[in-house]
Amino acid sequence: MIFRREIVRNLKPLLIWSGIIGGLILLTLAVFPQMAKQQETVGAMIDSLPDAMKKAFGMDRLGMDSLIGYYGIRVYLMPTLVGSIYAAILAGNIVAKESAEKTIEFLLSKPVTRFQVIGQKLLAVIVNLIILNTIIVLAALAGFQFAETSDVSPGTFLLLTLATFFLHLTFASIAFLLSSALRRTRNITSTSLGIVLFSYFLNVISAMSEDLALIKHFSFFHYIDAADIITTNGIDSKYIIVMVSIVIICLATAFSYFKKRDITV
Amino acid sequence: MHIVDIHHLTKYYKKDRGIIDISFSIDEGEIFGFIGPNGAGKSTTIRTLLNFIHPTEGRATIFGKDVVRHSKEIRRNVGYLPSEVHYYDDMKVIDLLLYSLKFYPKGDIHRIHELSSQLELDLHRKIEDLSFGNRKKVGIVQALLHSPKLLILDEPTSGLDPLMQQVFFRMLEDERRKGTTIFFSSHVLSEVRNLCDRVAIVKEGQLIKVESIESLMKNQLRSVILTIDHPEHVSLNINGIVKCEIRGNEIQLLYGGDIRELLNAINVLAYQDIRIEEPSLDEIFMHYYKQEGEKTNDL
Repeated sequence: MIFRREIVRNLKPLLIWSGIIGGLILLTLAVFPQMAKQQETVGAMIDSLPDAMKKAFGMDRLGMDSLIGYYGIRVYLMPTLVGSIYAAILAGNIVAKESAEKTIEFLLSKPVTRFQVIGQKLLAVIVNLIILNTIIVLAALAGFQFAETSDVSPGTFLLLTLATFFLHLTFASIAFLLSSALRRTRNITSTSLGIVLFSYFLNVISAMSEDLALIKHFSFFHYIDAADIITTNGIDSKYIIVMVSIVIICLATAFSYFKKRDITV
Repeated sequence: MHIVDIHHLTKYYKKDRGIIDISFSIDEGEIFGFIGPNGAGKSTTIRTLLNFIHPTEGRATIFGKDVVRHSKEIRRNVGYLPSEVHYYDDMKVIDLLLYSLKFYPKGDIHRIHELSSQLELDLHRKIEDLSFGNRKKVGIVQALLHSPKLLILDEPTSGLDPLMQQVFFRMLEDERRKGTTIFFSSHVLSEVRNLCDRVAIVKEGQLIKVESIESLMKNQLRSVILTIDHPEHVSLNINGIVKCEIRGNEIQLLYGGDIRELLNAINVLAYQDIRIEEPSLDEIFMHYYKQEGEKTNDL
């Protein structure tokens, strides 16, 4: 019941966010053929950019002349950053909304365990993220059709897709923990958005200077860096371990805390 | 068998007092009132029974099952009406009731229509747009729709107009005839009096007394206010005066004896006005405190 209700209730925001992300991907990819034609001008323009900026956006290692390089530099940011914002808002609200709107008493007076309440809500988050990522993939595949020749290897694209989904899942888990532990949705939304944006800018800043290179390890966006994935054709296993551990720890804490927590409205 | 059994239940919110060492039990088929002023711990007790909050000490059972460990099974047969009714703002009344119904395997959709027509509740309005009283009606239907064996109602009548209160009390009587046990809290004694078999009185987190309505009525207190010139010269020497206070030209009495005896004594005085009222809950509590105090002194 709760799962179905959450899917229905979150359908509209899901469609809006996936529409925006999917649309941005399509639009940006639609420009690629023109870009590819004016290769020399674009190349010169990129060369004129400061080194730090080139590094920050992976332009030092990826080329705009290849479709996958273009995807990594210009497109990949949208599903990862915007999608993470969506994931954080969705997961941050899903439990706390019930406390904030005081409907949690209604829910908990029904014959359901707390495990079922939060478990079904988590399932709804995951299903929403899967749908979002499916739309991202479809938009990207459709966008690739604009290019006359495609050099995108399915393996690399699959890695980028998985990386995006894992990133969403990581931010969603952190927000979900906040959502099941705290009562104020406003605080949760701003905190989880803060984590996403902080993480993003950490990655941008760390790429700009060698001195700041160490802090990149604290940014989830660095873990799924497009230039890394495309050039090495793999995701660093230590980063996968970190992300999986964070997901497991956050969710386990959320479940055990919510089970013991006093629900006061 | 006791439907509800509470043993030395204590709840502290961090350091703030919720309830302290409350024990009482409710029998099957009983209508049990839970009386106390705001902040006395009524809702805390109810929320502990429903396992929204966890007891600091003590324990409670419903249908013989522990409220913490078997909460889900218990709630299959419990209907709960919160004191403040809050529902999802995107739902219509019928959506909320159908959603609620889905949680109960033996739920019956006809009962929604039956109950809402009794309460004159419009099923197709948005809950968001409803008045406090109408929202309360949604809460009542929601609490009753699965024919629970135990009804837990937290301040059920607040927000209902007197006519609706009568309808609601009749519904409770119907439930009682079916064998439902009803536990409800209120801060109005008169409301409870006509309906309940027994009441528990709480104040400042502590149980003051559990008493049957009969004996509560027997030593029923009256608040008598007499307007008279020079009240300080008046002396009333009759049994049953619990409290006597002089304020300006008024004598305020709390009286628990034979009312005719008091009126006879007053009749000889040159009073200007007399008001006989039901004492406030606070005055009744004072009375009970005093009684408790005397008992301890006797020991």
